[in-house]
Amino acid sequence: MKIQEIRELIRLIDQSSIDEFVYEQGETKVHMKKAAAAVAVTPAVVSAPAAQPAPAVTVSAPAAPAPAAMPVQAAAEAPATEADQPAVSAAKQAKEGAFHQITSPMVGTFYAAPAPDKPPYVKPGDKVKKDTVVCIIEAMKLFNEIEAEVEGEIVEVLVQNGQLVEYGQPLFLVKPE
Amino acid sequence: MAHGAQSDTRKRLLELFAEANGEFLSGQKISERLGCSRAAVWKHIEELRKEGFELEAVRRLGYRIVSTPDKVTANEIQLGLKTETFGQVIYSFEDVDSTQRVAAKLAHEGAPEGTLVVAEEQKAGRGRLDRKWFSPKGTGIWMSLILRPPIPPQQAPQLTLLAAVAISQAIQEVTGLVPDIKWPNDILLGGKKCVGILTELQADPDRVHSVIIGIGINVNQTSEQFPEDIRAIATSLAIEKGKPIKRARLIQDILFRLERLYRQYLTHGFRPIKLLWEGYAVSIGKPVTARTLGGVMRGIARGITDDGLLILEDEQNTIHYIHSADIQL
Repeated sequence: MKIQEIRELIRLIDQSSIDEFVYEQGETKVHMKKAAAAVAVTPAVVSAPAAQPAPAVTVSAPAAPAPAAMPVQAAAEAPATEADQPAVSAAKQAKEGAFHQITSPMVGTFYAAPAPDKPPYVKPGDKVKKDTVVCIIEAMKLFNEIEAEVEGEIVEVLVQNGQLVEYGQPLFLVKPE
Repeated sequence: MAHGAQSDTRKRLLELFAEANGEFLSGQKISERLGCSRAAVWKHIEELRKEGFELEAVRRLGYRIVSTPDKVTANEIQLGLKTETFGQVIYSFEDVDSTQRVAAKLAHEGAPEGTLVVAEEQKAGRGRLDRKWFSPKGTGIWMSLILRPPIPPQQAPQLTLLAAVAISQAIQEVTGLVPDIKWPNDILLGGKKCVGILTELQADPDRVHSVIIGIGINVNQTSEQFPEDIRAIATSLAIEKGKPIKRARLIQDILFRLERLYRQYLTHGFRPIKLLWEGYAVSIGKPVTARTLGGVMRGIARGITDDGLLILEDEQNTIHYIHSADIQL
């Protein structure tokens, strides 16, 4: 069976009301089953995919070598620990100085500027308004322009351009006005 | 009022020609069906010709449509569109700086879900990281669709994979060509890029305001029309198919499939989309290079997670989960 034929089958079954499909001819056997039922049983996974520490890794933060078969959580430990460090210092500073934190609404890559050859959206000392764009978070080519949501002055940028950031990770400290 | 009635007659005339399916329709029959005089029929035919329709007139047989103009106006897209919301509101432009910018403004002003912005030409089409997207007049599909999904923001990236599946299905349906998807959502024909998708999210930490899916498709460019530096890596549907493709027809099919997959996604989650995505995936099981701002990683693409992340296994058999990177095959 050709890959194109399998693709076509997947497409047809996708459009049909068939839940399960088995095809056998000679030594070829194709078994397809729609995942809808399985998904419905575990809605938590669907509604909160980023609730667990996101196991993303970039070259700048390589994971400890782990066998391929290890569960997701194990492989995710190393980057999660690294990502926690700025979070801890930011939280400390936020307590001490009553600074406002701008946090990341999703897991992804932090971009400080609209393009590599452009200046950053904001730098320490800049005044921001609620709708000032302070950075972009990107995941899977979805770009999220993050707004300050608060009026004040940028005190510190807590992450590096191109760094992978976690859900809820502090990105900036702002002195509210 | 008069204008509205007239365009309604025009629409019915086009429907008659669509039913005739390329066969001749007598002037008598048209005037009976539309309830207007033969002179009025002639006037409508002349107006269609001015719009770019090619009509053949033969004595005793009547009229037949030889070809319709390849335009991407709201009329062309909505005639025969089988969706409930996607594309039911269309803003079409001869030229625009970028459909994405127009759509973002409309979304901010409260445009409903399914609103489509489409242009014959973009003066400042852009891709990832503000890279320019080559979008010359009348050759491709440059459009942006506004969604308002009731999902948490961190789930929104899955919509980019969903869009890639819907567009691949539509290309297959309309052209018969089977495209490949390169993670996360580049669409390739014969190893060359023909579709780029850029999605932008406006959200509060807990709520999505809008997701704008920007779609650029190289449809009818000849290879000479591509700048020299991208000729080796870019292609168009017409180049691969060997003949021009009607753009409005492809847009209709994309909107139809996007709407269906989107509904399925909101009801059943990402799993069914994942299976469809993997059916088109070109990189799975092959060595790939992932480039990020942080550096370069090489490994074997093992598939995607239930969230849509790329699973990369490096030479030390370590599994990495990639959120964002440029993938080279």
